[in-house]
Amino acid sequence: MFLALKEMKHEKLHYGLITAMIVLISYLMFFLMGMMLGLQNENDAAIKEWDTQTVLLNKNSNDNLSQSLITRDQLPAKEQKETALVGQAPVVLKAHGASKESVQFVGLDPDQFISREKLKIASGHKVEKSNEIVVDESLKNDGYHLGDKVTINSQQDKYKIVGFVKDAKLSVAPVIYGDLSAWRNIRGVNNQAVASGVFSDRQLSKESYPKLEHYSVKEFINKLPGYSAQNNTFTFMIGFLMVISLIVIAVFLYILTMQKISHYAVMRAQGIPARHLVLATITQSVILMVCGVLGGILLTFITKLVIPTSVPVIMNWPIIALMAVGLVALGMIGSLLPVRMIVKIDPVKALN
Amino acid sequence: MPTMEIRNVNKYYGQGISRVHVLKDVNFVANAGEMNLILGPSGSGKSTFLTIAGGLQTPTSGEVLIDGINLQKLSPKKRDELRLKKIGFILQSYNLLPYLDVADQFKLVDKIKKSGNVSREAFEELLQKLAIKNLLKQYPSELSGGQNQRVAIARALYTDPQIILADEPTAALDSNLVKTVGQLFQNMAKEKGKAVIAVTHDLRLQKYADHIYELADGRLTEKTDIPQEII
Repeated sequence: MFLALKEMKHEKLHYGLITAMIVLISYLMFFLMGMMLGLQNENDAAIKEWDTQTVLLNKNSNDNLSQSLITRDQLPAKEQKETALVGQAPVVLKAHGASKESVQFVGLDPDQFISREKLKIASGHKVEKSNEIVVDESLKNDGYHLGDKVTINSQQDKYKIVGFVKDAKLSVAPVIYGDLSAWRNIRGVNNQAVASGVFSDRQLSKESYPKLEHYSVKEFINKLPGYSAQNNTFTFMIGFLMVISLIVIAVFLYILTMQKISHYAVMRAQGIPARHLVLATITQSVILMVCGVLGGILLTFITKLVIPTSVPVIMNWPIIALMAVGLVALGMIGSLLPVRMIVKIDPVKALN
Repeated sequence: MPTMEIRNVNKYYGQGISRVHVLKDVNFVANAGEMNLILGPSGSGKSTFLTIAGGLQTPTSGEVLIDGINLQKLSPKKRDELRLKKIGFILQSYNLLPYLDVADQFKLVDKIKKSGNVSREAFEELLQKLAIKNLLKQYPSELSGGQNQRVAIARALYTDPQIILADEPTAALDSNLVKTVGQLFQNMAKEKGKAVIAVTHDLRLQKYADHIYELADGRLTEKTDIPQEII
């Protein structure tokens, strides 16, 4: 520790530049992770808010809620208590004085568990009539207010905003909750169509809905359009950055060690055990990584505060902590390259 | 028992036609309380002799004993330990770390060798004798060659070693400081019972030595008079 700290204090520029490099790499990693989580949330926040465990869709829906239409005869004769019918349709929302917004209309039965228990009303009240809607809070920023009369698609009917709800996002669009009859109206289907999907906060057996396709919540979310591709892209980017950070720290420490070979040789000649020098190098790598990672976290945090809310970034502290530990561990692995060199130093070089 | 004994040491470098016989049947004894000077021109094998004597490299044949312990029979770790405890190296390259100030050069020794270093009083006396007491907060890059040399000598003596191995210890010093270093080595030998071995070109040190050797073409011979051509 003594050697590591003294050297870093004396060679501020060298170590400052390496730390800056790690700050930038970790900043990019944390920011990308934040965006990945933010976009995930934009895709599945509503589904997670409903505590969904099981999703049932029409067998010909190609795993897509928007393309699923469940008819009355596909449901079992006896209704399951822990289920809710969900009618979904992508629509365009318009109101006087507000911008046009592409949103997801979700029709619910007010007596079923999602409407009854899961919606977090931030202001106003739940849907009570078929011409009422409750909309995602983010629409406030687009000029929508409580009591506004809005139109959906090209329909003549007006709907009244009676409440704002938290965390209502589906497929990267705000959700507007309405009645199932309103959903039928929007989709232009008759009473035989009961919903787009059946959602449950329990694990349902396949036998309970034999005429429908059965999905666990994880399967359902992964099949949301673009969701897996987007996550894989981010995961690869973050993975590559991790590898790059490993290479950067290894190369920098290797170069620094090469420059210090004669010093190490002198110390080895004086009988200073190699383990002291190895420990000093590993300590330096840990200090560099910890400082770099903390700098990266700070920059990500500041960025999150200043960027527009339209850029979805979520700072998930347990994941950040895990990534930080991973980065420090990678730094330690990176330091093994120069460590190998130190162990093999020939102290005779000190005399040449 | 001699503090250091070198028996029939041979050292070869390279292989085949490029094989060079650097040390030839070298025998040498250094006793506690004596200062030994090894003189020789460049390329005579002085540095090889010093590195073998200090256990930094092994001879091709022969053996090196320190306090009766055969260095070749020790593991590298044990050899490091022995070097740290018993040998003080004074190297031509001053053996100072550029990122430690003078005070920290000694602190580093304390961190690694926690006991057996010189007492506070002896340390103060060493700093005083070598006139480096006012340099404690300076970095090696801020010191002259002579100052670096003196700090390096103090650093080597700080561990209170039994054997002092010095490679051109007075190369960067003026006559006054040569006298100081010569007397210091002599005191270390006579008063503290150290075995001092210095390899050098500097004949100004000869008057402080108990034994003077010549190393030429890999052969070590003890001299009573110093040939002029070595100067």
